[in-house]
Amino acid sequence: MRTILVAGLISLLPLTTSAQEADTAPAVTLPETEVTKVMTDAVDGFIRPGYDAFHQSAEKMTAAMKTLCEAPSQANYDAARSAFRDTAVSWAHIEVVRVGPVIEQNRFERILFYPDRKSTGLKQVQAVLSRSDETAVDPATLATKSVATQGFGALEYLLFGTGSETLASGTNGFRCRYGAAVAGNIANVAKELSDIWDAPDGIQKDWEQPGPDNPAFRTGGEAMTALLGILVHGAEAVRDQRIETFYKGADKAKFPRQALFWRSENTWPTVKGNLEGLSALLETSGMVNLLREKDRPVVAEIQSMLKSMIEISSTITPDLEKAVSDEAERKKLDTLLDGGKDVIARLNDGYGGAIGLSSGFSFADGD
Amino acid sequence: MWRGPMAWRGEAIDRRGFLKAAGIAFTAALSPRALMALERADAVYASGFRAPDGSFGIATVSERGEIVDRIALPARAHGMAYSAATGRAVAFARRPGTFAMIFDPSRQAEPIVITSPQGRHFYGHGHFSPDGTLLYASENDFDGNRGMIGIYDARDQFRRIGEFEAHGIGTHDMTVSDDGRLLVVANGGIETHPDFGRTKLNLDHMEPSLVLLDARTGALIQRHGLPPALRQLSTRHLDIGENGRIWFACQWEGPRNALPPLAGWFEKGEDLSFVSLPEETTVRLGNYVGAIAVNRREGLVGLTSPIGGAAVTLDARAGVVVREEKVHDAAGVAPAAHGIAVSSYDGQFNDTRSQVAWDQHIVRISS
Repeated sequence: MRTILVAGLISLLPLTTSAQEADTAPAVTLPETEVTKVMTDAVDGFIRPGYDAFHQSAEKMTAAMKTLCEAPSQANYDAARSAFRDTAVSWAHIEVVRVGPVIEQNRFERILFYPDRKSTGLKQVQAVLSRSDETAVDPATLATKSVATQGFGALEYLLFGTGSETLASGTNGFRCRYGAAVAGNIANVAKELSDIWDAPDGIQKDWEQPGPDNPAFRTGGEAMTALLGILVHGAEAVRDQRIETFYKGADKAKFPRQALFWRSENTWPTVKGNLEGLSALLETSGMVNLLREKDRPVVAEIQSMLKSMIEISSTITPDLEKAVSDEAERKKLDTLLDGGKDVIARLNDGYGGAIGLSSGFSFADGD
Repeated sequence: MWRGPMAWRGEAIDRRGFLKAAGIAFTAALSPRALMALERADAVYASGFRAPDGSFGIATVSERGEIVDRIALPARAHGMAYSAATGRAVAFARRPGTFAMIFDPSRQAEPIVITSPQGRHFYGHGHFSPDGTLLYASENDFDGNRGMIGIYDARDQFRRIGEFEAHGIGTHDMTVSDDGRLLVVANGGIETHPDFGRTKLNLDHMEPSLVLLDARTGALIQRHGLPPALRQLSTRHLDIGENGRIWFACQWEGPRNALPPLAGWFEKGEDLSFVSLPEETTVRLGNYVGAIAVNRREGLVGLTSPIGGAAVTLDARAGVVVREEKVHDAAGVAPAAHGIAVSSYDGQFNDTRSQVAWDQHIVRISS
């Protein structure tokens, strides 16, 4: 059903068109059946399982936090920190999807408020702790507070920041109950995302079946542009938001404490998670099948680059002060930045060009 | 509000410094044969482009669409403006870029590069005052989440001498009335922040508006929000037609199967009026107009859409469609000697195809 929008009291001109039409160039067309298969595989094979896994992981993290609060011990403290790491990595896999419900109603920021150059989150979390604000220990009321107090950034400080060692002792302390509420809030948002994508007549259907009456994509070309956009923007985010926030090159200023999750030493596990998410989406969707035989090697090239970046990210020291000051470690960072640039170029010009986006996909974002 | 001279000085750097920063050669990349065929006097348009090697620049272009001259840039440009009074043109970096280059298309003067101040980036558009002594630029105060109009003194190396509030967010295009008394501002209503690249942060609560400011004081004269049904209609591009009529063009961020109005006009003291485009024209434009230009002499308005692959010409007096053309990857529009000039991402510019990707906007540099 198409909706004709009019502008209320705004006057409209009489319609007496005498349009001439001249066909001078073909539009990008892709085989509908193939596009539907790719989009279905992307949604059912990557996006929905990704949000489901994130939800399950967040529920386990919430349970681990509750256990820690009720029975504080070093073992339960370690288990909670381990659950944080697992959930952060699970999020990193699906975080690459920066379109759809996750960017509505501040869901993304409620899960992760980052970058945070002014340490807004740290200041607000410290304020909650200093006031022992009891309204912050219920996920329902926490959800109405600043996004900087209710996501991974807040929980990381609670579990790994100054004073976090107190969590191993003292039953149902405020810090622990606040942490459990943050975990519960993340799980709630994750459940919302999972439910929205799992609803058979919602965005799942819109993404899998492009068409004239579809509220998401009118054509297969639009759908594939969006899918390619997830990969391009995801790769850009790894470079721009996860690495260049603290390291832009050997001769540039370095800010290791601006890195995401430096406190918990989860910077590289989550970068690796992002890269693995990109690789999995490219593979699972079968995007290669939309290319002519001669163009297909570009997908293998991209996968090879991602694999190399994943391997490198596993070897970088979690000590970010050392990572930006040690020459050998810096070379790995430089390799990641260069690799990211190559991946983006091959996605834009290689894959995008091969499916008919003549100048590279991102050029079509007219602005 | 006029903020008066600021402590910060717009950084004008000389050509050598700019090129060193850019790391590329400043070159007229024409073959001798091309130079024989085309003189700089033949140049009537200027537009940003991307070369096959991925580098960016500005080209001056003949009426037929042939490239006359090229100037290298360190990054992608977006909107442009020209002052007939001084013969200078300006190209703004694409958002969230931080440079703008003022240049003389006839190469009689050295280019000047300015950078946006701390806490601001350019939004990609600007305009000269009618006498060419001031340059206005749309800018983002990203930590304040508000659009601004930066003011630069052309008589003093384009030193930044003040700024006005744009009275909206996501400020994009802006222009100046023929008598220089009014600044016309299109606030797209979409929040962005350089920390998040080009990600649109508030698509579910956009605030588009069209604004008139007193060019002398910055005082708000008129502000048009859009009705609730059109809350997701981003008002982005502008041109001025006969008798001061302000034409605007829009990009729809709502459901893809809606049929929103995509262009309209207003004048000082009047409400907004939308062009009632035929349904099939709205569909062809893909709910997205990337550029708009008025040919005053012939009473025409040109619209292009890279999303829909279409160029549409309106009768400016009757407000009806007089021509529609399929143009794959349609990019810029400008008033031509006859009709509307159109470029495309795949290298077409009027009658000529070149080995470049034309960017989103064209400016006419000859009357």
